[in-house]
Amino acid sequence: MRNNCLTTAMLLSTLLSGGTGISHAAPNTFNTALPVPQGEFIWREQAVFRERSSGGPRDRDVSIQALASVLGYGINSRLAVFGAVPYFFNKDLDVTTPMGRLDRDTDGFGDVSAFARYTLYQHDFTGGTFRIAPVAGVTAPTGDDDEHDRVGRLPRMLQTGDGAWDGFGGVVGTYQTLQYEVDTQLLYRANGRHDGFARGDEARFDASLQYRVWPLSLKNVSGTPGFVYALLESNLVHRDRNEVGGGTDPHSGGTQWLLAPGLQTIGRRWIFEGTVQLPVVSKPHGHALEDDATVRVGFRRNF
Amino acid sequence: MFKQLLLLSAGLILSASALAAGNQYTLGVKGVACPYCAFGIEKRLSKVDGVADVTVDIGDSVVRVNMAEGASLTEAKARQAVKEAGFTLSSFSEAIEPKDDHAQ
Repeated sequence: MRNNCLTTAMLLSTLLSGGTGISHAAPNTFNTALPVPQGEFIWREQAVFRERSSGGPRDRDVSIQALASVLGYGINSRLAVFGAVPYFFNKDLDVTTPMGRLDRDTDGFGDVSAFARYTLYQHDFTGGTFRIAPVAGVTAPTGDDDEHDRVGRLPRMLQTGDGAWDGFGGVVGTYQTLQYEVDTQLLYRANGRHDGFARGDEARFDASLQYRVWPLSLKNVSGTPGFVYALLESNLVHRDRNEVGGGTDPHSGGTQWLLAPGLQTIGRRWIFEGTVQLPVVSKPHGHALEDDATVRVGFRRNF
Repeated sequence: MFKQLLLLSAGLILSASALAAGNQYTLGVKGVACPYCAFGIEKRLSKVDGVADVTVDIGDSVVRVNMAEGASLTEAKARQAVKEAGFTLSSFSEAIEPKDDHAQ
């Protein structure tokens, strides 16, 4: 999960890279603490194009094209619930094997997430607000974790689901004025174990600045004009090593710091947005996969 | 004489028009800082019985509410609707001037 400041985005992120997000103006890669009005829905669609790679003898390249759908609902002015599901149009892996270079891919729905956000602290002032909201949720194993191709069972990282129930929780803070908005999020994701495998737990610290670049001034402006925001988002993500059988995979997890500049147009009913997320610092464990670039474009609809 | 009758008729018509216009209220709302949020307030206030039209002047943090003919808005109802949208009502006043410009 700005207002409906759909908390959003977080979801997507959680689903596709470990965050969660939706609602209002709000960040593009994680959540916001802005409200979803009581009894109202917010809908978000985000197309995600993600490229990952690893070094080492396997020299893996992963390409993901997905659509993340998020629906938010305001239970009351402080409590909102969200549901999110990703659909992977294509998850593609190029990997070097003893048989040579191999290309494997899959598609389908991923794991569904549901989470709630409660506004614990709210300080409203003229033309702005400051809010703090804890979030907590679960990811259900609705995606396929046993997909096969001509070679055999697809590797874990290529399956659309991991087969386990996961839980995540954290806190989101938002400071918003008519000129700019700052969002921060601390989130921890505890990944469950299934069939002898557990994806490494994940901790992340996200921050976002959204600055109004149009209209330049609101003086003598009546009504509610559309805004254009320039975005800059920062995502610091640490992933533990995956657990496999009785041990850990040395070539999994690690720490990455990413920046995502972007643009957002905000109307009363619609938000259109896009960001390009690039790594600044990468410290993978061994030859673990790391993000090279992620492009996100989408919209949010205020019902 | 004809001119006086004409003016009298015009006055009566305009007065009737003014009376037909509903009450207008001006709300000060804290916490609203983007168009998407403003729409949430519009939606919640529009669900209050008798509300005909809602306009948010986001730069001034002011919400103008026009009521249907014969309807009125209480501060308690306005406060509740603004709260349900996730914001805070800071002021409530009934506009003195009627909605219809011809009546001025």
